[in-house]
Amino acid sequence: MINRDRIKAFLTLLPSMILIAVFVYGFIGNTFWLSLTDWGGVAALAENPVRNYAGLSNYKELFTGFLGGGFRQDLVNAVYYSVMLLLGAIGTGLIIAILLDNKPRGEAVFRTIFLYPMSLSFIVTGTIWRWMLAPQGGVNILPTYAGLDPLKFRWLSSTGAIFEFNWQNLLQIAFYILAAVLIIGGLMSIKQNPTRALRRFLLPGIAVGLAAWLFGDLLPKALFMEETHGFNLATLGIIMATIWQYSGYTMALYLAGFTGISQDLRDASMLDGATTAQYYRYIALPMLKPITISAVIILSHISLKMFDLIFAMTGPDNAETGHPALNMYLTTFRANDFAKGAAIAIILFLIAATFIIPYLISSYRQRRTR
Amino acid sequence: MAQVELLDICKRFGTTEVVHNANLSIGDNEFIVLVGPSGCGKSTILRMIAGLETISSGEIRINDRKVNEVMPKDRDVAMVFQNYALYPHMSVFENMAFSLKMAKLGKNEIRQKVDKAADILELTPYLHRKPAALSGGQRQRVAMGRAIVRSPSVFLFDEPLSNLDAQLRTQMRMELKKMHLKMKTTTIYVTHDQIEAMTLADRIVILKDGRVQQVGTPVEVYERPDNRFVASFIGNPPINMLEAVVHRTSDGDAISFCGLTFPVTLPDGCRDQDQVLAGIRPDSIKRDEALAALPEQWLIDGRVVVSEIVGSQSLLEFTMGEASVVAELEGRVAAAPGQTMKLGLNLENLLLFDPDTEQAIR
Repeated sequence: MINRDRIKAFLTLLPSMILIAVFVYGFIGNTFWLSLTDWGGVAALAENPVRNYAGLSNYKELFTGFLGGGFRQDLVNAVYYSVMLLLGAIGTGLIIAILLDNKPRGEAVFRTIFLYPMSLSFIVTGTIWRWMLAPQGGVNILPTYAGLDPLKFRWLSSTGAIFEFNWQNLLQIAFYILAAVLIIGGLMSIKQNPTRALRRFLLPGIAVGLAAWLFGDLLPKALFMEETHGFNLATLGIIMATIWQYSGYTMALYLAGFTGISQDLRDASMLDGATTAQYYRYIALPMLKPITISAVIILSHISLKMFDLIFAMTGPDNAETGHPALNMYLTTFRANDFAKGAAIAIILFLIAATFIIPYLISSYRQRRTR
Repeated sequence: MAQVELLDICKRFGTTEVVHNANLSIGDNEFIVLVGPSGCGKSTILRMIAGLETISSGEIRINDRKVNEVMPKDRDVAMVFQNYALYPHMSVFENMAFSLKMAKLGKNEIRQKVDKAADILELTPYLHRKPAALSGGQRQRVAMGRAIVRSPSVFLFDEPLSNLDAQLRTQMRMELKKMHLKMKTTTIYVTHDQIEAMTLADRIVILKDGRVQQVGTPVEVYERPDNRFVASFIGNPPINMLEAVVHRTSDGDAISFCGLTFPVTLPDGCRDQDQVLAGIRPDSIKRDEALAALPEQWLIDGRVVVSEIVGSQSLLEFTMGEASVVAELEGRVAAAPGQTMKLGLNLENLLLFDPDTEQAIR
């Protein structure tokens, strides 16, 4: 009996399993294989193109090659972009959700207004914001309404950059980041288990950080020449537009969560002496941790895949506002460098996986313990 | 250590008034139970005392301080909610420590107080568990622990036992009573369960449709209900209400119902030939040996409809003329339906009500 049910279930699932195997995993595999070849160049579009196995040379070229500078800046852009979008969209959405959770007059109208940008496509958003951020219009002339001088900032074409670092020191920076992660993790868990936090996180973190600082010069250089990358100010406009579009979405997520918390809990916390701020800090937000995690994952994916908004706002090949996804498109379909394009795709895929895999593991564990 | 006073408080939601001019004075260390059917405004009154609802008019005073505008946390009250309202992401310890943490107490002091409360409530082994890993009774105790640690001057309970099963409810009821005897804190307790009200309260406040019907000790409201509603609400099985006519003649007072006339002593409030409602508690109906104590005129023949044995007592439904009456009899009565039984009505405890105003006639 069980077997028959199982066979039926298997047969029912088989078509989708085959489709997913071919069109998702098969294509990921194929892309990975292509990234290990030298497919590209003049004869790339021949009927039977020559594809030789080339090992990791495409990756090496992207990270350390003379011509990979553009990609490296794009990658740095994507990281800054993701971080700023996460902080901006989650922060703004959270603040709006808290304001609306306190039921101001016209709450329903505001909710719709804030959610509205979500319904626009990125091309529309991009076009609107391109106009708004034009050097002599929109945002820049806002101060003139208050009798002030117009702003001069070039939102989408500024060449300024902050938080710059030398790509040569990539390894040293990686160690610094590792040290920072360990120290932050230690500080976060120090309350629950001080000895464990100290031994497992704080001391190793400090050791790694010190070692990287003292002996950083001995580490191999990632590049043969100096190459600085940083947070390009021209991406600010794109970040603003994305936050505008997505804070309504995070607001909706949080608002749904807040509404789901029983009024009794709020009453109880008020009787316990918590202020409104403390209620959100100690009760509501910790209870909505799953929502925060979902928001982080969804938004980080959106920022890693971002393509159309940047395309609409600054065009595909504005070096200042580049993004690996755009770079992949240009490399693959404009330069016909299919192998390198595939390598960029795989890099993006791996970065996305670093966000999603821990999430999948933890949700799988939760389901098992439940 | 606190007195609580409600002076003419009203609560309106928009144009509907749900509490009408409630007055109540609660003494130090008193255990007051607000009881009434759902929608009678008892929880609203409690929430107004807690500060979770605004007061539309009137005044609430705690320890002679007007608290209408005082924030809940500054009223020195603690509340136990019907669904416990435990913080699900915090351990039992953190749940109980939360109010102390908000009050910025030192870590050692918090630990001491929580440990003490946990000890009283036998929660010590569970301090590190999350509420989801506790049974209903344990959660209930955590909710009480959260109230106790603050040592407030007033405890507020909003139907705290209604989510427990019957056995646990009886047990927790006793624990609550013991705790009140030990801690001697003014307690205001809301319930719809009259047994909880009768067993726990120093004084019961009976509410209906947002109006206070009667305030009194459990015995007072049982024996001398002010009106028909109180008489019917308090007491289980409920009181028998029979349409009756009173007679005041030179031969003495009498009352007739169900085609029978009984000599009784009538209160001054009724005149000859008045139509009244006669309330007879099921436990005022006697049988067998107990009949000897009653005058012969109070004995009747009842035709048994159905009888139920409830432990050492029996419930008997019988007809008397047209009316159907329920009796609570001592001992086990196994009577066949249709059988006639000799019963006696103890009319010393007879309650009379005006059928129009429903007020007690005294």
